[in-house]
Amino acid sequence: MRSVLALVSVFGALVLLGPILAPHDPTAIDIANRLSPPSPDRLLGTDALGRDILSRLLYGARWSLGLAFLVSLMGLALGTMAGLLAAQGGKLADWTVMRTTDTFLAFPDLVAAVVIVGVLGAGTGSLIFALTITGWMRYARVARGIGLSLQTRGYVVQARLAGLSPLSIARWHYLPSLLPSLTVVWTGMFARAILGISALGFLGFGVQPPTPEWGTMLLDARIHMRSTPLQMIWPGLAVVMCVLAINLAGDALRDTLAEQGLPE
Amino acid sequence: MIQLFLGLVLRAVVVLTGTALATFSLLWHAPGDPALAIALARFNAVVSTEVVDQIRVEAGLDAGFWTAFKAWILPLLGGDFGSSSVTGRAVWPDLVTAMSYTAPLALSGLLIGVAVSVPLAILAARRPGGWLDRSAVAVASLGAAIPTYWLGLLLILLFAVQLGWLPAMGARTPVHIILPALTLGLGVAASLTRILRSGILEARGQPFLPAIRRRGVASRAIERAHVAPHAAIPVVTVFGLELAFLLEGAVIIEVIFARPGLGTFLVTAIETRDFPKVQAVVILAALLFVTVNLVIDLIYRALDPRIGSRDA
Repeated sequence: MRSVLALVSVFGALVLLGPILAPHDPTAIDIANRLSPPSPDRLLGTDALGRDILSRLLYGARWSLGLAFLVSLMGLALGTMAGLLAAQGGKLADWTVMRTTDTFLAFPDLVAAVVIVGVLGAGTGSLIFALTITGWMRYARVARGIGLSLQTRGYVVQARLAGLSPLSIARWHYLPSLLPSLTVVWTGMFARAILGISALGFLGFGVQPPTPEWGTMLLDARIHMRSTPLQMIWPGLAVVMCVLAINLAGDALRDTLAEQGLPE
Repeated sequence: MIQLFLGLVLRAVVVLTGTALATFSLLWHAPGDPALAIALARFNAVVSTEVVDQIRVEAGLDAGFWTAFKAWILPLLGGDFGSSSVTGRAVWPDLVTAMSYTAPLALSGLLIGVAVSVPLAILAARRPGGWLDRSAVAVASLGAAIPTYWLGLLLILLFAVQLGWLPAMGARTPVHIILPALTLGLGVAASLTRILRSGILEARGQPFLPAIRRRGVASRAIERAHVAPHAAIPVVTVFGLELAFLLEGAVIIEVIFARPGLGTFLVTAIETRDFPKVQAVVILAALLFVTVNLVIDLIYRALDPRIGSRDA
């Protein structure tokens, strides 16, 4: 657990400090030194336009990780609200929310995101919209399940009899019990969002150039696979390490919670 | 049982209607003039407003939302997917051609996934915590973190560019399927190994097993008759998820390997704003998904009688 936390903090620090640590301007074009191999000045070499790859990776973390963080939090908010609405709002609300959840789950989320971003036009705004709208369902299911199981608990019944509004019950009695489980779901969705953003970037539907983003960098690197294969390694490696760290953190968190006997 | 089945079917119909409505309204509210987009795609040049207006009427874009929705959904119920707004050709034959490339890819990917994960999970679960178990889990965790497209690129780099053993681009010969299928299969194997392993371990921990063992039943028989069905339950559930992974993976992998399958079909359709084709892929995928999940639900209930009585 401790080593995982350390790993996650290192990545967090890289996101925040990336622009300070970056040795070069990530969008500065230097055609004379294009596709150069790693050297002391350019630790990971340069890309097809002579831009420093290490700097692009460090700046790119803001987009690849930062956007994924944002998107997964928005999904968390949307899904929790939907789930609590289903648990508290009566039969009709429950049916509507759960069938909407089924509908959104009835489709591979990445394919849905590709369709949404492709139709709305590639860009950061539609990317955030597409990944949020395809990423809230798991939270909703968990929130509804725990919400339903809490409904008959003594303190919730008493709060209801005392005249507390459903909103305050949700805020003061449901949310604290939900948070541990939702955090575990969130780690998984955060990792998925990183994969989703880079996949969309790789397909050309994501963050638009010249903004450095890991998926878009891979798309650029792919063309020069024969001459500079190393260029294709770095952005992918960055994605893998981040996703792995987050998944491990999620596993550790789940095990810790399971030991404490909290609702799954 | 019949009531349960009807309930599940009704749910599937509701989900499909929702998907159709959501897709249609997304495309309907898409930014830009769809008629102009079609004109540009069809003639590859700027055309006069009269031609654009004519296309608008032809494609039924001048009618209201519900009229247009009905004009799309009613023929669809009869199996008519309409015709491409760019080429004017029927969508269905092209869709069948695309599927004939995607189906073998998805199937071989699934086969590779199962062939790798089942023995690995069984070996890993033999001694939990042993070196084999720990390395299997580590490899599976790593595999789950590798994006499909990057794995595809790495395999191309190794086997096609550096070693020159296998072809990477296109689908001209049967050999062309090896690299894309391997990419897809390794991804499937990564998630399946973890689920299978924990399924087996959980099944081993069932309280009735020591009782059966003390009765003198051979351990081989116990594994076959009691552990295996129990371990199969999470695997069946996960098949729905694997299908999503296969579809998703196929879309990206086909783009990387330039295979003319459903993924390429979808991405090209989006880029040329050929909305009838986009709708066709979405509806087809949703139909496949809903059907498979319905079947899984039924198998699940057959494997574990407790589920049926718990919730209907």
